[in-house]
Amino acid sequence: MKRYWPLLLLLPLLVPSLVQSPYYVNGILNRILIYAMLVASLDLMVGYVGDVSIGHAGFFAIGAYTVAALTASPDYNTDATLTHFPQISFAVALIPAVLLAAFAGFLLGFPALRSSGPYLAVITIAYGLIIYTMINEQETLTNGTKGITLTPLAFHGHPLNGKNYFYVVYPALVFVLYLLRNVVKSFWGRAFQALKYSAVAAECCGISRSYYKIWAFVLSAALGGLAGAFFSQLDSYIGPTTFAYNFSVEMLIALIFGGVRSILGNLLGAAVVVVLPDIFSRFNDYRLMVFGTLLLLVLFLLPDGLAGAIRKLLRVGRRGSGGGADDRAELSRKSDSLQVLTPPPSSQEPALELRNVKMMFGGLTAVNDLSVALMPGRVLGLIGPNGSGKSTTVNVLTGVYFASSGQVLSFGEDLTRRKAHQRAERGISRTFQNLQLFGALTALDNVMVGLHLSFKSSLWQVALGMPKARREEEEGRVRAYALLRFVGLEQAAFETASNLSYGQARHLEIARALALQPRLLLLDEPAAGLTSGEIEEINVLVRKIKEAGISVLLIEHHMDMVMAISDEVTVLDFGRKIAEGTPQEIQSNPKVIEAYLGKHVTSQVAKA
Amino acid sequence: MQTIQLLLSGLAQGMIYALLAFGYNITFATSKTLNFALGNFLMMGGVLGFVFYSTHHLPFAVTLAGVIAAGVVGGLILKKIAIDPSVKTKSSYNWILATLAVGIILKNMSEVFWSTDDFKLASPLGDDPLRLGGVGVFPQELLIIGVSLAIVIGVETFKRKTVFGKAILAVSEDKDTASLMGINQTLVVRFSFMLSAAIACVAGLLVAPITLVSATMGTVIAVKAYAVSIIGGLESGMGVLLGGVLIGVAESLTARYLSTGYKDIPGFVMLIAILLVRPSGVFGRQSIQKV
Repeated sequence: MKRYWPLLLLLPLLVPSLVQSPYYVNGILNRILIYAMLVASLDLMVGYVGDVSIGHAGFFAIGAYTVAALTASPDYNTDATLTHFPQISFAVALIPAVLLAAFAGFLLGFPALRSSGPYLAVITIAYGLIIYTMINEQETLTNGTKGITLTPLAFHGHPLNGKNYFYVVYPALVFVLYLLRNVVKSFWGRAFQALKYSAVAAECCGISRSYYKIWAFVLSAALGGLAGAFFSQLDSYIGPTTFAYNFSVEMLIALIFGGVRSILGNLLGAAVVVVLPDIFSRFNDYRLMVFGTLLLLVLFLLPDGLAGAIRKLLRVGRRGSGGGADDRAELSRKSDSLQVLTPPPSSQEPALELRNVKMMFGGLTAVNDLSVALMPGRVLGLIGPNGSGKSTTVNVLTGVYFASSGQVLSFGEDLTRRKAHQRAERGISRTFQNLQLFGALTALDNVMVGLHLSFKSSLWQVALGMPKARREEEEGRVRAYALLRFVGLEQAAFETASNLSYGQARHLEIARALALQPRLLLLDEPAAGLTSGEIEEINVLVRKIKEAGISVLLIEHHMDMVMAISDEVTVLDFGRKIAEGTPQEIQSNPKVIEAYLGKHVTSQVAKA
Repeated sequence: MQTIQLLLSGLAQGMIYALLAFGYNITFATSKTLNFALGNFLMMGGVLGFVFYSTHHLPFAVTLAGVIAAGVVGGLILKKIAIDPSVKTKSSYNWILATLAVGIILKNMSEVFWSTDDFKLASPLGDDPLRLGGVGVFPQELLIIGVSLAIVIGVETFKRKTVFGKAILAVSEDKDTASLMGINQTLVVRFSFMLSAAIACVAGLLVAPITLVSATMGTVIAVKAYAVSIIGGLESGMGVLLGGVLIGVAESLTARYLSTGYKDIPGFVMLIAILLVRPSGVFGRQSIQKV
């Protein structure tokens, strides 16, 4: 039965024949659908990537004006300042409309890589206003303030304007939202969200921040442009006033009103901004006051918007995460035979080699002239008092910082200038001392972000829901489940990461790091804040990881843990290496004792 | 000569942007939110100034006091109904929408309870240009430049030299540590909102004689002021002066030599270009990420 439910999507096609008033079908319903498309494009940027845009009217305008300028005929635009009337067909004009908007999104992507938060929000405002000024002033292309009148849409003599426009807009919206839904539920959507919750952790999972951010802007802008393209034929007239700053704000309000990351929310939000003015038309003067007040109430009383409120009312979780009993049993069965840890190819080169690495922050030298080598398949413990430069070393190793001088090599390859995601691609994986989980994603999805590099399908295969993409997704889920079982978290697979206990979160960090199939694993204080029982669990995990042939760099404070599992230990103090050797040698090294306990005590110990 | 006049009026306009931008920065420093309603506080200052000074013929001093009082009360209300709940929900964008909502309400209130038309407010210094060595200068422009500089420098000095000012700096730097040091951070944040809104209202009163008073007068200025505030760096105080001068002068030169239609473009392009090079503005601080 369930697989036939998409047939219900055909039902709305009856609306134009059931509702007589062209005003309700075209003025209200079609407008809602078109705005919903724009709101969905905004959602991609705000809800998934987490960058607030107050300039989406610009992309909408680009789409609308491209179609208008390419399809308009001089018969409808007498005394226009337009110089060219290519008069191509509406369907063909959609293509340049989308491409131009996508290009505009691409350009906006670059400042977005550098700035964030309020800085980026203001950039989007400026961007929208630049586009707005251009359509007002470039009269030979846009007819300036007079706007462009379009030839009413028809197909072989059948009018497709007014009420009938629904037959164009509705299927287009369904199709576009289907594509969008496939993308956001895939590794693409997870990459977007991972960047939002922790860009550093996402990079260390092999997700290139610049690549995915720019793609998100391109996709969002393309979709906004498409919405604009459809908008141009809504009233068969467009003028610049529609595309002002206020419109961007209104769409942002629609998005939040409806609820982010929800198609239902996008539709509801669009419906609210279209229908409310209609309802309040009698009190038109007070409309905005009511609107503002409603917005404040929704913001604080319904934090997940209308869609969130409906979900709460019906007591359903966010769709698509799975987690039913059947789903779990299936995952459990399939993951049974799976080998979680893949032994890396053997190599004679050190898994990790630091040559005279120096890291300076302004005038402060955090790591000074550090040389360390870790042979494949070994566990190297890196210890030192607080502030000795351990975490800085890990950050230099993973590309979060770049060494001020010196070299970082792994398996013979110089990685000194490589970015974090490139190091992840080369099999270097890490956990974080101060947990960097993707808070709103489930434990399973967190691990699936770690599997990011194993997804090979193209964006199109993902968007169209092609078998390859579906298969990969399914395999990824099974693998992720197996990894969760490896660290003992399978019961919490469908729990949101932010709801996990501290110990569970530490385990999840390890599972995510292992998802990368690392050759070298960096554990940054994996036992910090854990009970002795939990530390023992981590010990067992690290031993298993070592047995699989994965090289491990262990940064820890817990001496007994380091001494128990390390093959070699390197000790840092004030950014310098003060000792290295086997755990036994380190334990009796006077310099190490001095660094940890102070000089005075050592001399007393020596006397005794 | 004409160029000097042009520069001077660009400077005056830029100082208004700087003043509003300064208002953004004050509250950003203490609450890490950008107040998108501030442009409409500026409008409120202009409208109330018109009502007091032109409609009711109150003395200018009384007008000024009334406008400042309105700003103080308005800032307090804004913080209570928009900022406090946003901070509680811990969302990264609720404050944008909440302050926008307050802005929308303020604007609509002016339209409904006052007027939807544009009005001219007479300058308290008269509207005849002064002749200074062949250059015609409007006294109001000089007043704007003088008062704006005085406010920005005054507040910055206050922050550095007085105990309460240092408390503001401490809260901007680190809320929790400031709290542990016995600073009442709620009070500091509240004060910053009152101060910021009052400055915006004064800016509205100042700008009214060189533009027109209307319910929509805040919108465009607000957007330019974001740019100014961002160019200078949200964390910096004096940076707004530089940003204001840049945008104001660029605008008046473009309007004169290119076209009035394009006058907003150079400022915005400059904003994007500057942020490409310095993502936290010219005087903003880059923080090192710690993981």
